[in-house]
Amino acid sequence: MNHFLDQFMFVALPYVCLFTFFLMTIYRYQMQSFSYSSLSSQFLENKHHFWAVVPFHYGILVVAAGHFIAFLIPRTILLWNAHPLRLYVLEVSALAFGLLTLVGLIGIVVRRFSNTKIRYVTTYTDWILFAMLMLQTISGVGVALFHPWGSSWFASNLSPYLWSIVILNPDISFVVALPFLVKFHIVLAFLTIGFFPFTRLVHVLVIPNPYLWRKPQVVRWYGRR
Amino acid sequence: MASLILFFSPSLQAQDTPDYFRQNCMNCHTVGGGRLTGPDLKDVTKRKDREWLAKFMANPKSVIDSGDPYAQKILEESRNVPMPTLPGLTKERLENLLDLLEAESKLEESQFKGLKISNKPFTDEDRALGRSIFLGTTRLKAGGTACISCHSMHDTSALGGGWLGPDLTNIYERLEGRKSLSAWLMAPGTETMLPIFKDHPMDADEINSLAAYFESSAGKSPADPSANRIAFLLMGLMGAAACIFGFDAIWKKRFHSVRRPLVDTAPTRGHE
Repeated sequence: MNHFLDQFMFVALPYVCLFTFFLMTIYRYQMQSFSYSSLSSQFLENKHHFWAVVPFHYGILVVAAGHFIAFLIPRTILLWNAHPLRLYVLEVSALAFGLLTLVGLIGIVVRRFSNTKIRYVTTYTDWILFAMLMLQTISGVGVALFHPWGSSWFASNLSPYLWSIVILNPDISFVVALPFLVKFHIVLAFLTIGFFPFTRLVHVLVIPNPYLWRKPQVVRWYGRR
Repeated sequence: MASLILFFSPSLQAQDTPDYFRQNCMNCHTVGGGRLTGPDLKDVTKRKDREWLAKFMANPKSVIDSGDPYAQKILEESRNVPMPTLPGLTKERLENLLDLLEAESKLEESQFKGLKISNKPFTDEDRALGRSIFLGTTRLKAGGTACISCHSMHDTSALGGGWLGPDLTNIYERLEGRKSLSAWLMAPGTETMLPIFKDHPMDADEINSLAAYFESSAGKSPADPSANRIAFLLMGLMGAAACIFGFDAIWKKRFHSVRRPLVDTAPTRGHE
């Protein structure tokens, strides 16, 4: 039974989610290109906004980039980690940015919940997405704290698994024995990828790059609401 | 989709039975070479009938969990290290393995009698090299992952080793000495380690050095990881706090509001 559950979670589900991601992302861009936005709410509330959105975005960008780099060049990560001090520096930095993401995300959810105007412009999809991101961030920080050193075992166990998915020859032997929290984090990551095209997350694909260093500016909407 | 169908079908790879035994069984078993972590499999088919053996090999955990007394006895004798589920074990392969064990048991000397472990006493050099391999500073020749990624030892410095796997401080005693420990390291058999070391095995010198290092920790108590965990969390929190202060400093001149700056800069009435 467990064997089939693992097959479902780590083979079938990833392909369904990736397929949905690619298909629906293209479809939505074709059909509703103007919906490719996160619909900024800064115009409605500007004070709390900075303390929530900025930590969240810098946190998640660094953490996501870290996962992606470990997936792309696992041997280089292991080479870097070959000295305990360098391993500790990498792990502490990753944890710091993970916590930054968590603080930012809590800020975002509290702001959306406590401010009437913002609550009005928050959709059900947004709430589902926030719940998923919250669970994903908490489980990620949990993995960092309770199952170290992830940067090394990600490179040796998860990277080969993810590559096996990419080359259409899935090998789940690398993941079946990992602790529950790690499995949960992997499954939720794929679910988030599958949910991506239906949410405000699509703004990731159309972001103007200077966003990362220009001064924050207030945006207002021209559409309904 | 084709790959999905391929994956769900029983794996009938060309790998033959002796190779399969060598890769998946020899880290815990010999045939006629005495017990390692698991029992010596010489004449195993005489000790238990094939039906029971096939059931146990197909899913050791479920037979152990069912409370089967013989499975419990094996577990106890193996110092409570349960046999892992074997990868790609089809009915056909199971039968082939049992045939192989029967045939090998009849031989005077089986090809699976086991490793020839050196009896040379461990030196300080071996121990130092073993520690360096454990920490990752000396890389494993075949590219295996350093032990510290998932394990800790009594003398792993600073934030300690990983906690994905168990602390290895007393592993030399737990595996009952050099022979079992070395056999284990030849082809680590847990489900997490197997896929890593299957393609990146350690060589005899590396195994000898690691065994020397593990032997040197005999009788020491494992480090308490709670202080490390707290230190790690605090360092992460400090890093996150530093980033938040940094953002505020970088964007000090950001747009805050319209009215407040106007009020602050307006000349106050009633004063000169």
